[in-house]
Amino acid sequence: MTMISRLLFGPFRPSIEALRPLLYRIAYSWCHDAALADDLVQETLSKALSQRGQLRVEASLKAWTVAIMNHCWLDHLRSRRDFDDVEDWQDILESSADTPEASCNREQVIACVRTAVARLPMGQRQVLTLVDLEGFGYAEVADILNIPVGTVMSRLSRARASLKNFLDTAMQQPAARPLLRRVK
Amino acid sequence: MNTVVSDETLNAFVDGELDVAESEALLARIREDKDLAQRVCTLRGLQSMVRLAYIEPPVADNRKAHIAPRRQLMQRCAFGCLVLLVGLSGGWVLRGRDSQTVAALPAAVSSGYQVVSLAREADPNRVMLHLDSAAPAKMQAVLDQAEQLLNEAEQQGRAMQLEVIANSRGLNLLREGHSPYAARMSRMKQRHANLHWVACGQSIARLRNDGEQVRLLPDTQTAPTAINEIVTRLQQGWTYVRV
Repeated sequence: MTMISRLLFGPFRPSIEALRPLLYRIAYSWCHDAALADDLVQETLSKALSQRGQLRVEASLKAWTVAIMNHCWLDHLRSRRDFDDVEDWQDILESSADTPEASCNREQVIACVRTAVARLPMGQRQVLTLVDLEGFGYAEVADILNIPVGTVMSRLSRARASLKNFLDTAMQQPAARPLLRRVK
Repeated sequence: MNTVVSDETLNAFVDGELDVAESEALLARIREDKDLAQRVCTLRGLQSMVRLAYIEPPVADNRKAHIAPRRQLMQRCAFGCLVLLVGLSGGWVLRGRDSQTVAALPAAVSSGYQVVSLAREADPNRVMLHLDSAAPAKMQAVLDQAEQLLNEAEQQGRAMQLEVIANSRGLNLLREGHSPYAARMSRMKQRHANLHWVACGQSIARLRNDGEQVRLLPDTQTAPTAINEIVTRLQQGWTYVRV
């Protein structure tokens, strides 16, 4: 079957298609919305297929595709017209998900972590998920998001500090719902 | 060396971004400094929690079909058409071979049975009979066919290989205590060294899963699956007869 589709669609298609689960995981960790994540992945894959001529090194396929998805994601945010300034998105954008405490009351660590990640500013969330979920190196993340390596490091550091604060608060005071403030 | 290690450096250490010398220097400090070790531990813990949280992201329901781009749809259609075409032409070719086989095999076998061979001409010296039914008439037919083929080959001085492959309900033919023809089969086996009884391993496993005890008749071989055995034999040039 694989052989036949290779013959039919060329060798490039299967390797890009194989990235689907990886892309979906990242997309979901960015937007925390299954339907939107699916749309993002679909858009990314079709863009990647149509732009594959621009890719030179096969090894960087993964990073290249994720970079395309980053563009799709930014386009999506732009189309929502909630924000006018790109710089602002990186710091402000938080998901409207429940607070971590509410989720932890349901005793679901996974939901709790997801919520905590969703509460991170967009820029930090992207860096954190790229490093932690797919093990991208700092330099790769910098390339994908088109930001300096120093920014990757500081965002990651702040993201993990915020995450720790979120989770600590959530685990220690499950009943109370203190107002959380963004750390940045 | 008593400077405070920055969070950025510690993160880079956890993510394996420091070079060897830096890592080793930091490791040495971590061994001495419990607070530092604690910080590293926390970071590692956070990292694995994030990983765990997204191992299985929830899946969007039924959305893929709707948003699949037309291009992909077209390719799927093309692929489907190709499969259909291969199937049809395969069937046509096999149909042609079928009639050749009928001519080549002794009339006794070909009458009323589905015969398949991948060879240009069906090989009358290597035949497998496939039984997947527990109907006594079918069981008897298999044995009659086998005996007739072997006897004919003997009379004509041909060295003939014959396999009786049983799966599904047909397995009963090869089961001790279930086979109505155990004695006859034993006699046949003694007379014809090139006759083999082959049981489908998958069918046996299924029966055992249902809590049944499966004991096979002596001299019965087991294949992983009947289908596998049939396909392998077909590729080797055997002739397949479904009883």
